[in-house]
Amino acid sequence: MRSLLIRCYPARWRARYGEEFAAILEERPLGPFDVADILLGALDAQLRLRGHSVDTQNARSFTMSLRVGGVAAIIGASLIIIVIALTGGLTQGSHEVNAIALLVALAALLVALTGLSAFQARSNPWLVWTAFAVTAVGTLTIFIASVSDLAGAGPRDWRDGLLPIGAVTAVLGSVTFGIATYRGSVLSRKGALALVIGPTVGLIGAIAVGQDLWELGMPLVDVGIVSFLAGWFTLGVAAIRLDRTSGLKPA
Amino acid sequence: MEGKIPEFGRFAEPSLLILVSLTDGPKHGYAIMQDVEGGTGRPMGAGTLYAALARLEEQGLIEPLPPIDRRRPYRLTAVGASNLAEQLRGLSEFAQMGLRQLGKTSP
Repeated sequence: MRSLLIRCYPARWRARYGEEFAAILEERPLGPFDVADILLGALDAQLRLRGHSVDTQNARSFTMSLRVGGVAAIIGASLIIIVIALTGGLTQGSHEVNAIALLVALAALLVALTGLSAFQARSNPWLVWTAFAVTAVGTLTIFIASVSDLAGAGPRDWRDGLLPIGAVTAVLGSVTFGIATYRGSVLSRKGALALVIGPTVGLIGAIAVGQDLWELGMPLVDVGIVSFLAGWFTLGVAAIRLDRTSGLKPA
Repeated sequence: MEGKIPEFGRFAEPSLLILVSLTDGPKHGYAIMQDVEGGTGRPMGAGTLYAALARLEEQGLIEPLPPIDRRRPYRLTAVGASNLAEQLRGLSEFAQMGLRQLGKTSP
């Protein structure tokens, strides 16, 4: 009877408390009150250990999101910096190769956005997922515009295509993501501010360039790009640092 | 990691009784049961005892000592003692307030 009651407890619980619990049950005869109490205790242990396991799995998936997001942010930002440095600001080299490299970098930043959004969504889910959705739609629009341009199906003037719409949407999303990250205070606030400032300044520069104000617009575009990339790189480093201080290993 | 006893739900009262029982030194489970029964006049079942002990240990309010035969003693930690003192002070203030109000309304 006693061993049957003890077997109602989860194996992990029995491994820790089983021996001393059995010793207690042997101290006196078991009445109906004791049996009911032990069964309720076993039910509580089953529910608690199951809940704990779910919590641990959730914590591990959050850690994994943080790690993937951090690494992708560093790769995406670094790749864009390398391409810009090697091609003298995209003025040299094959147009197709540059475009493909930038698309790969953009994909990495999309992965970073997904990972870091999933990690931060615990504190402010509505704002974080809105920022994610807007930025993702903008980035995918840029993707489609770039791929159709590569395939020769794009408009003659880039200003007439999907690219400006995608860029503006991505800028709005990036600014919202920066605000959400800043408010979350978990990752780098400097990185978050750079993500707000960079795309905003860059967009103002792009509008100026669109109006043929090259001398005013281009420096702003440059500052915007640098700030944007520095923001992602900083967030990536902050995510990796945070991951290293966490005791949990990803599943 | 410091747990609040009221957050233990239906195991809050047993947990408080266990902590009080451990204030005069380490005890194993059966000794705690006897102590609680002697102090309150009500028996504490083994299932309730171990559900509360597991919570108290997880929150760092008590700690297990090496077992003697098959019995494992537990002792109050510094965090547990401070938490218990805080709980008892709160209960004492609540009891005094209740007694004062009873004094005002009693005929």
